[in-house]
Amino acid sequence: MNYMPGTASLIEDIDKKHLVLLRDGRTLIGFLRSIDQFANLVLHQTVERIHVGKKYGDIPRGIFIVRGENVVLLGEIDLEKECDTMLKQVSIEEILEEQRAQQQAKLEAEKAKLQALKERGLSVPRADVLDEY
Amino acid sequence: MSKSDQQEVECPLSHSEWPEDGGRWSEEEDGDEVEGCGLLQEMVEEDEEIDLYNEETFGLDLYTGVEDAEGDPTDLLIFCADKSPAPSSPHPCTPSSPSLPKPGPDPQIQPQAWLGMQARERGNKERLGGRGKMFDDPAVMRTVEGRPSLKSLDSAIVDSGTSSSWQDKDSDAWVLSSYGTQRCIAGSILQDKAIVGVIDRPAPGRILPTTLDFLSPLQRPFPAFRGAAPGKRSGQHEQLSTRPFGQRYLSQMQMNPMIPRSPVRPQQQYGQCGGLRSPSSCPRPPVSQAFTPKMMQLRFGAHSPTPAPFYSPSANPVQRFRFPGHVTQLHPQHRRLLSQRQQRAHRKTESWDPHSQLMSLKEKEWIIRLQMIQLQSENPHLDDYYYQEYYQRMEAKLAEELLGDRAKREPPKLTTPYVTKTDSYTPVVHIEGSLGQVAVSTCFSPRRAIDAVHAHCPEEEQKDTRQQRLAVLHNLEKLFMILLEVEEGERRRTTVFREGERSRLREKMQRRVELIYRQLQHPVALESGEEFLPCLLVSKGKRLLARLIPFLSHDAALYILSIVTSHLPVLMSRDTDEALPVLYPSLCTVIGRLSFSQLIGLLRNFTSTLPETKESQLSLACQNKFGISLLYALLSQGERLLSSEVPMEPSIGDFETWTETVFQVARQLSQCSLVEPLLLPSNLLSLFCRYLDKRTVHQLENSMERSATGCPAVPS
Repeated sequence: MNYMPGTASLIEDIDKKHLVLLRDGRTLIGFLRSIDQFANLVLHQTVERIHVGKKYGDIPRGIFIVRGENVVLLGEIDLEKECDTMLKQVSIEEILEEQRAQQQAKLEAEKAKLQALKERGLSVPRADVLDEY
Repeated sequence: MSKSDQQEVECPLSHSEWPEDGGRWSEEEDGDEVEGCGLLQEMVEEDEEIDLYNEETFGLDLYTGVEDAEGDPTDLLIFCADKSPAPSSPHPCTPSSPSLPKPGPDPQIQPQAWLGMQARERGNKERLGGRGKMFDDPAVMRTVEGRPSLKSLDSAIVDSGTSSSWQDKDSDAWVLSSYGTQRCIAGSILQDKAIVGVIDRPAPGRILPTTLDFLSPLQRPFPAFRGAAPGKRSGQHEQLSTRPFGQRYLSQMQMNPMIPRSPVRPQQQYGQCGGLRSPSSCPRPPVSQAFTPKMMQLRFGAHSPTPAPFYSPSANPVQRFRFPGHVTQLHPQHRRLLSQRQQRAHRKTESWDPHSQLMSLKEKEWIIRLQMIQLQSENPHLDDYYYQEYYQRMEAKLAEELLGDRAKREPPKLTTPYVTKTDSYTPVVHIEGSLGQVAVSTCFSPRRAIDAVHAHCPEEEQKDTRQQRLAVLHNLEKLFMILLEVEEGERRRTTVFREGERSRLREKMQRRVELIYRQLQHPVALESGEEFLPCLLVSKGKRLLARLIPFLSHDAALYILSIVTSHLPVLMSRDTDEALPVLYPSLCTVIGRLSFSQLIGLLRNFTSTLPETKESQLSLACQNKFGISLLYALLSQGERLLSSEVPMEPSIGDFETWTETVFQVARQLSQCSLVEPLLLPSNLLSLFCRYLDKRTVHQLENSMERSATGCPAVPS
């Protein structure tokens, strides 16, 4: 049982490989080397993993220092199970290309939706100009 | 990274002086004894303060373990004794800066520093059996002592020893690393006090904060450090005094058997810091155990070294663990469990990971301490009840198991403050004049269900008329229920098609009706009295009867009608809420079925005179709406009967009575003013025409019409 409260419970996770999901949507994988009371993380040999569909690509990034408030979640990676994945690793260029295509498709879909709504006289208000919840 | 690379980067200028082979470092050892130098003496003292201060922040970080031959090179906090002093030039170095200028250091001091370092290293190596590289960590480019700037004094900064800015304050206050304490302590190894201590690598075993020390509660506040260190005090005192744990750390550091010490030094240190130690000689944690080598192996890993032969742990009177912080308020049982668990746990280091152990034990404990401080409370039993309770019970259970005492089996009960019942409360409250009970809510019965029964005994209060009336009302309530049942049954009977069911239903309803009739006729609670009268006197009873009459047989209904007519004066006089008219419709129907003889009988009631007042009933009836309506109805019925062609069977003297009655009525009607009847039958006039002369008829007609302005005329 981990009796350590709060961020101290991360101490048990030090020097283990972790997957960290950030608020901007990035996925980092690295060895957790150091923490502090705000759960700021020091990740070592970090790799940014981009997922598109069933493919993924790793971009090596080195050492990351992540401010604690930007972490959505993190979890330890079981090194043995890391290999049994359905996902297929591709090169960085390919995955970036895929990602670009995905963003493009999403943008176009969004535009088409907005256009359709406009034609029907409806509008989706932007969140920042919305007065009510 | 190879050692040579590191050395090239770190000490480019002193490369020539720094033999690549670590084993040869000790060759040019023990140059000058700097202890004799007064300047350095001062510096040493100042260093002590700084070191103490830094220990308050992180405690002893340097001798957390011993590097084994395999080499675990991650040590950010390695400082080399670079005494490039302030006067020469600033050395803005950080461990991570790639290119560090090292402008012409004092060649004299430098080799001393390096030599001292070498000596230290040798000593370490000797003791530890072949310690090799010192700066294996590729992240460490160069380590320089830094002046304890504000940044370095901030405990939030882990690496406080290195400051990026080099501040010149005093020419003689040359800056030593904040971790230079070890010079004083490791005197045996390093004769050069000016040498900044080298931080050993942490133990190869994975460093978990296996402390038991910070499991012990915070016993006392830490007085500010007023060190026994003699000599000058600088402004750093203020900063030092803000750190509460300095004393403890110092004492811990001193008592740490892991720290290599000279045989001479400890006493000196004891003496010096005796004043420090006493206040901080807090009660030992209850689970403090002898620092046996075996235990040390468990705690520090398999490769932890045995303590120096000249310093055995058992000789240490103060068995304190070096770990800081007793800021956690764990329940003793919890503490015991954790310590047991820690003893059992034995983690092997991941030797394949060269970058592990980046975070030192001190740092980990610091975080833990930080979090635990927030959990402190003055009243843990109040703030964290469930935790305390759980561990108390566990303790009790364990104690019971140990002692084998089955006697105290039952679990500790939850004690609540005993609330004495002040007064006995009356569960049933009967308020005068109310029917049944009244809901009284007390704290023991906030929503008490009351029964619709009399709270008192009916036999005792017969004499009281109000009680009588209440009894009657009570009866009526019950009978109403039955009546509702009857009405419902009748309604259903019309919808039921099967003959058998219908007849069954009819019989059932009939029985009910008879029951009501009987009850009304002879109410249970009354000794004597007229039949039906008590219920008739109450308006509710009138309503009940009115609804009941349609269900009654003709004889029963006739009986009721006769009762009504015979007691008409009483009824009329006591009819305060004018409920009599409710009887009119149903009585009308009854009258419509009357035979002539029955009618005559009823009419006789009308014409009789009352004994007391000498007034005729007739005159009274004419003053009452109901009375006059009843009269009209009766007369109308008579007229109908007479004018119809149905053969009547009149008794003897019926016609005479009839004629008399008509005359009497006519007289009465013409004499007094009439009240508006409920219904004015239209055949009355024809009746009167038959018996009376025209003039009288006209008079009657006028008076009747006058009275009956709003009354609907009903053709009979």
